[in-house]
Amino acid sequence: MKIQVHSGLLIVGLLTVHSVNAASIYAGQSRAAAVCSQCHGVRVPSADAPFPTLAGRDPKYLQQALKEYRDKTRKSDIMNAVAGSLSDADIANVAIYYSKLKPE
Amino acid sequence: MKLLPQFIIAILAAVQSLSIAQAASSDMHQLYEDNCASCHGSDHGGFLAPALNSETLKGRSATALRTIVMTGSFDTLMPPFYGRLTDDEIRGLVKYLQSTPKQANPAWTIEDMKTSLKVYIADETKLPSKPTYQIDNMDNIIGAAARGKYGRGSGSKAVFINSTTHQKVGEIATGTAAHIIDYDPANPRWAYVKNDTAEIFKVDLYSMQIVRSIKTGFNGPGLGVSRDGKYIMAGSYVPHNAVILNAETLEPLKAFELEGVDPDGKMVTSDSGMVIGTPFADIFAIALENAGQVWVVDLKDNFPVTKIENVGRHLHDAFLTHGGSKLMVASYDDSIVTAIDLNERKIIKKLEAGCVPHVGGGAAVEVDGRTLGFGTNFGDCDKMVVSVWDLDKMEVVKQVPVSGGTESPAAHANAPYVAVDIISKDRRARTIQLIDKKTLNVVKTLDVGGHAYFPEYSADGKYLYVSAGYNGDEVAVYDSTSLQKVAALPMESPAGLFSHGRVKYVTRGLSPDEFDDASKKGGAQP
Repeated sequence: MKIQVHSGLLIVGLLTVHSVNAASIYAGQSRAAAVCSQCHGVRVPSADAPFPTLAGRDPKYLQQALKEYRDKTRKSDIMNAVAGSLSDADIANVAIYYSKLKPE
Repeated sequence: MKLLPQFIIAILAAVQSLSIAQAASSDMHQLYEDNCASCHGSDHGGFLAPALNSETLKGRSATALRTIVMTGSFDTLMPPFYGRLTDDEIRGLVKYLQSTPKQANPAWTIEDMKTSLKVYIADETKLPSKPTYQIDNMDNIIGAAARGKYGRGSGSKAVFINSTTHQKVGEIATGTAAHIIDYDPANPRWAYVKNDTAEIFKVDLYSMQIVRSIKTGFNGPGLGVSRDGKYIMAGSYVPHNAVILNAETLEPLKAFELEGVDPDGKMVTSDSGMVIGTPFADIFAIALENAGQVWVVDLKDNFPVTKIENVGRHLHDAFLTHGGSKLMVASYDDSIVTAIDLNERKIIKKLEAGCVPHVGGGAAVEVDGRTLGFGTNFGDCDKMVVSVWDLDKMEVVKQVPVSGGTESPAAHANAPYVAVDIISKDRRARTIQLIDKKTLNVVKTLDVGGHAYFPEYSADGKYLYVSAGYNGDEVAVYDSTSLQKVAALPMESPAGLFSHGRVKYVTRGLSPDEFDDASKKGGAQP
C-alpha cells in the first residue's frame, strides 16, 4: 500500500517535471516574436518605449500575469486583448522563453 | 527611479489630452510630422511606409486604423504607439489623416538648407590624427544604420563596428532613423550619414563624433560622395530636389529641381532615386524615379547636367561596374535593369530582371573569367528570382530561383557565397539565402531571426554581417564559410550595413585587383 502511494507520487512528480520541460523555448520564441516583441522587444524594449522588460523575469510570474490578463482579473485594455489570443501552451512557452533570455 | 519619467509623461499626457479635445488640425499636422512623417512622408505621399491621405485611406475603418496605430503592425516597421500617444491623439490623427489629401511639394530651398547648417566642431585641426581606438585598417569598419523602434529617438543612430573583432567602436545619434552611410574615398577619416528626415551628418570616424550637419529636405535617402571626396550630392523624395554640397563644410553649392519628360511622354516632377559618385570620373549620377531619367552631373563650374532619358518606368537604385564606367539602374515598373555607359552617357541595353528589381548596393563577382552581376528583386510574384548578368556581354546568364522577394545582395572576392535577404512578409523574412558563385544555385538557407536583411561582408571577406532588423534587434555575425554565428551586437531595428571596404572595391564582390582589371576593360581611364 505504502509503496503504491509512493509510486503514485513519483508518477505525479514525473508528470510535473515533464510538463515543465514540455514548455518549448523554440515555440515560445516564435510566439513571442509574433505577439510580444513588437512592444516588449526581444531582450529589452525600445529605450523610448513605455513597456516593461520581460527578458530574465521569473517564468511563474510571467505565466500568472498573462493568465490574469487573459481572464481579465488584471486590467489593461491592450494586454487583455493581446493575452486573449494565447493558449495555455502559448503562455507557458512564451514565459519560459523570456525567462531564459538575458536582458542587456 | 525608472517609473518617474513615465509618471511625468502620464501627467503630461493627461494635461495634454485636455487641450487635444479642442485640437485644431494644425496640432494634428505637427503630431504627424513628429511621429509619422519620417516614414510615411512629409507630404502624406508615403516613403518607406504607405501613403496616408484621404485618397489611400478611403473606406478604411477608423477603428481598424486606430488599432494599427496602437499595437503596431506585425512584420513591418510600424511600432506600437500605445502609451506613447494618448487615445485622444490617436483618434485625432486617424480623423486628420482620413480627411487630408496628399500635400503639395513643400519648399525647401538652398536658403533653408544654409540656415539649417550646424557646426559642432569648428576647428578640425584639433581632431586626433589617427583613430582613438584600436583598428588595423579603417576598411574594417562596418557602419550599421540603427533605425530605433520608433524611427526616431535614442535608438536612432549610426553604429560603427570593427568587423575583425565584432566590437562596437563608436556611434553617433541621428535623431531620426539613420538610413545611408557613405564614406570619403579619398580620406578614411570621414563618413557621411543621412537619416530619414534628409539630414546629413559629417562624421569624424577617428574620434567618432559629428563635425557638421545640414538638412537637405524632408525625406529621401539619396546620397553620394565624389571620388576626390570634395563634393557630396543628396537627393530627396520630399521635396523633389537634389543638391550638391561642399563635402568639407557641407555648404550647399547648387540645387536641382527634379523634373522631366517620362517614358510615356508626360512632364513630371520626380523623387530622387540613387545618387552615386564613381571612381571613373568627376561626376555624380542621379536617378529621377518618376521621370525615368538618369542625370550625369559634371563636377565643374555651374555643375552642367547631361540627361539620359527613357531609362525605365520608376527608377530606384543602381550599382557600378567596369571601374565605375558603367551603371546598372533598377527600374521597378517594367522589371528591367538598364545598363548605362557613363563615358558615352547613353543606354547600353535593358536587361531582364525579376519582378520589381531593387538592386540594393548591387554585387558583382569574377567567376571563371566572367564578371557576373547579381540583382535582387523586391516583388512577391510567381517569378521569385535573383538575376545574374554577364556584365561584359550585358546579357542574362540565369534567373536563380529563391524563396521570396529580395532586397540586397552581398558578395566578396574571398567568400564562397553571394548572400541575398528574403523579405517576403512571413517566416521567410527571418532568412538569408546563399547562392554558390560557381553553380549559381541556392545552396544554403540561414535562419537569422527577426526580419533579417541587408547582408554585408567584412572587408576581409571572413565574416557575413546581417541585420536581424525589427523583431530581432541585433546585428548577427556569421563566419562566411562555415556559416556559424560568431557574434551579435544589440541595437534597435538595425537596417542598412555599410562596409568601409566599399570605397576600395566599388561594387561588393570585386577585389581591388579585379577592380583594376575591370577598369582596364572599361576602357576610358579618368
